[in-house]
Amino acid sequence: MASAALTDRRPTDSNMADRKWIARGEERTSLSRFLLGLSPWVVVLALGIYAAGLCLYYGLNQTNMDNRFAFGLWIFLDLGIIALGAGAFFTGFLVYILKRAELRPILNTAVVVGFICYSGAVAILMIDVGQPLRAWFTFWHPNTHSMLTEVTFCISCYLLVLCLEYIPILLRNRQLRKLPSFLVFEHQLHKLVPVLAGVGTLLSFFHQGSLGGLYGVLRGRPFAFRAGIFIWPSTFFLFILSAIASGPSFLMLITATVEKVTRRRLVPPELFRRLGFISGVLLAIYVAAKSIDTLIWLNITSPSVGFAPWQYYIHKPFGTPILFAEIVLFGLLPAFLLTYRRTATRRGWLLSAAALACAGILLNRFVLTVQTLAVPTLAFDEFLQYTPSWQEVASFAGVIAYGVIVYSLSYRYLPLFAPPKGESTHVSGD
Amino acid sequence: MFPGIDGFHWTVAHVVFLSLFFAVVLTIIATVVSAVWRTTHDFRTHQAIELCWKADFAELPESDRRCRHELAGRVISRTCDNAFDCRHCEKYSQFAVLPATGLGASLGLNFSDDRLYHRGHTWVKPAEDGTVTIGLDELADHLIGNPDSINMPEIGAELEINQTAWRMKKNGSEIQVRAPLEGTIIGIGGPKEGWYLKIRPRLDPRDPKTLRHLLRGPEVRGWLSRELERLQLQVRAPNTPPTLADGGVLMRGLMDAMPDADWNTVLADTFLEI
Repeated sequence: MASAALTDRRPTDSNMADRKWIARGEERTSLSRFLLGLSPWVVVLALGIYAAGLCLYYGLNQTNMDNRFAFGLWIFLDLGIIALGAGAFFTGFLVYILKRAELRPILNTAVVVGFICYSGAVAILMIDVGQPLRAWFTFWHPNTHSMLTEVTFCISCYLLVLCLEYIPILLRNRQLRKLPSFLVFEHQLHKLVPVLAGVGTLLSFFHQGSLGGLYGVLRGRPFAFRAGIFIWPSTFFLFILSAIASGPSFLMLITATVEKVTRRRLVPPELFRRLGFISGVLLAIYVAAKSIDTLIWLNITSPSVGFAPWQYYIHKPFGTPILFAEIVLFGLLPAFLLTYRRTATRRGWLLSAAALACAGILLNRFVLTVQTLAVPTLAFDEFLQYTPSWQEVASFAGVIAYGVIVYSLSYRYLPLFAPPKGESTHVSGD
Repeated sequence: MFPGIDGFHWTVAHVVFLSLFFAVVLTIIATVVSAVWRTTHDFRTHQAIELCWKADFAELPESDRRCRHELAGRVISRTCDNAFDCRHCEKYSQFAVLPATGLGASLGLNFSDDRLYHRGHTWVKPAEDGTVTIGLDELADHLIGNPDSINMPEIGAELEINQTAWRMKKNGSEIQVRAPLEGTIIGIGGPKEGWYLKIRPRLDPRDPKTLRHLLRGPEVRGWLSRELERLQLQVRAPNTPPTLADGGVLMRGLMDAMPDADWNTVLADTFLEI
């Protein structure tokens, strides 16, 4: 992150105005160094906006997607960041609903990460849909039988919830809080955040599931098609499980990265172990469920629609090693490392395991998006290669740059890791 | 979306899905409306000012939130949990009867026994006629020296306790001085008399409870000695460890004498700014 290194204790005159926006007692790098660190990301973001503009102005012919490859890099990005952003709703759920107060120090950063992930995903979806001016059609004329409708509704509502959760953090900025109306509104909204956390949990639960479900119902794509319970294919549940397993790991990685860059201890080490344990246990459950699901799919579901399991894995690079990597290397191994006491107490192992867990979820989303569409399903079909156009790559990079910029600005000017309100006040020695 | 809109059907899927959706949307809207309504209510019932101060107080470092009884040496350690509002502190009378065992050494700063002190470095001097005078204490005065500009409120304006009483500018830094008491301004002292405000307190100053939240006697000494200690650490030369003082008194116009110090932090700590 650009909020880089520890600073000179004495700010120069040019930093005075900037310092007024930084929370008292917080040390941040000088404004010039901060802006210098951000500048490459601003360039990437500008390129991303230009590429997105081309796609919106000229249409989706700017991409390498077509009728067969209707899902590409953008959908992979959407699924990936929405899964990784699940830390926001899951942490809110643990803190406000299950009353796990020990996770409070990471709550603000979870909200900001969630906000970045979901707003980035919605931005990319707007480009991908290609007709942003008609985006309201999906709300006004909803197809209630479509998983995508549920996804659209839930993601839109949840982004609204995340905005409302982000506002109290934003209003705690040193200058904004000087406006009494802002401070009082922040106070009142903060009191209602548990309601928002509950709504967010409901929405996230359904849209994470529906994102998985929309693959599971693709009868014409047997690589993704799954049996399930009632109207929900197994991928519905696997997506929820994998998202809540990887969310805490992603939060750990983000926090550790910020700690490394700023050379400061931002949260207690026990919190990392707690997040790691939660992530590890959920990942173990996910791996078990995924393994059972894979066995059922390979032996029952797929043969029933006329596909032998080996047919999916004869096309390079989508061989069986990917399946092995997904379940063992990026699933079982990190689950073990995150929960085994000896490795979980060592920061290096813990963070490596968290990185593996996140990589596993990204690989899962990549495979479900790309391999599903690449594998031929009809006799006259061929294995299809897809390489994203530069406009797709630039938009993708633009979203990443957007995330880095928003997080860096939030870290610099907002109390992301400050003790929660009221908790720093205590009485001792009476 | 609604009955009558193209695509809507009276089917279970439509009714259940859309009902759930509208329930969620209504919950979100109700949450925002509730927050706005409560905010308006807080302003209407004058609770907003108190909320703002409590929010600011909660953000102060623990070292700034020490109880007055700790400063006077009546208790070993106690963090104030009542936003410095000793008027309504249940523990006040329990500790106030204990003997003070604070410092006796001279601090090199003048503070008078007929004045009461607020943690935001203002003094309060009650007069016989039921009015009080408010001014900047000597430590703050020595820090700032002569301000570049000063923005005093107008006569007749209302002061709220712990909110901004007046603003000053010095070397590009804006300083907001917190009001030690609530009341109506009835007089303003200019540069020749030393900047001060004369106010008629909203509550009766003859009632001991009205001025109870202000520091006095040994509490002032304990508080100022800690403030001086903090200041000494904050204005030390860059990249040097804290050192013991070797005597001397605080000079006037420290901001001019040490322009390179981190005045942003020093002023925030001195005037209880967040």
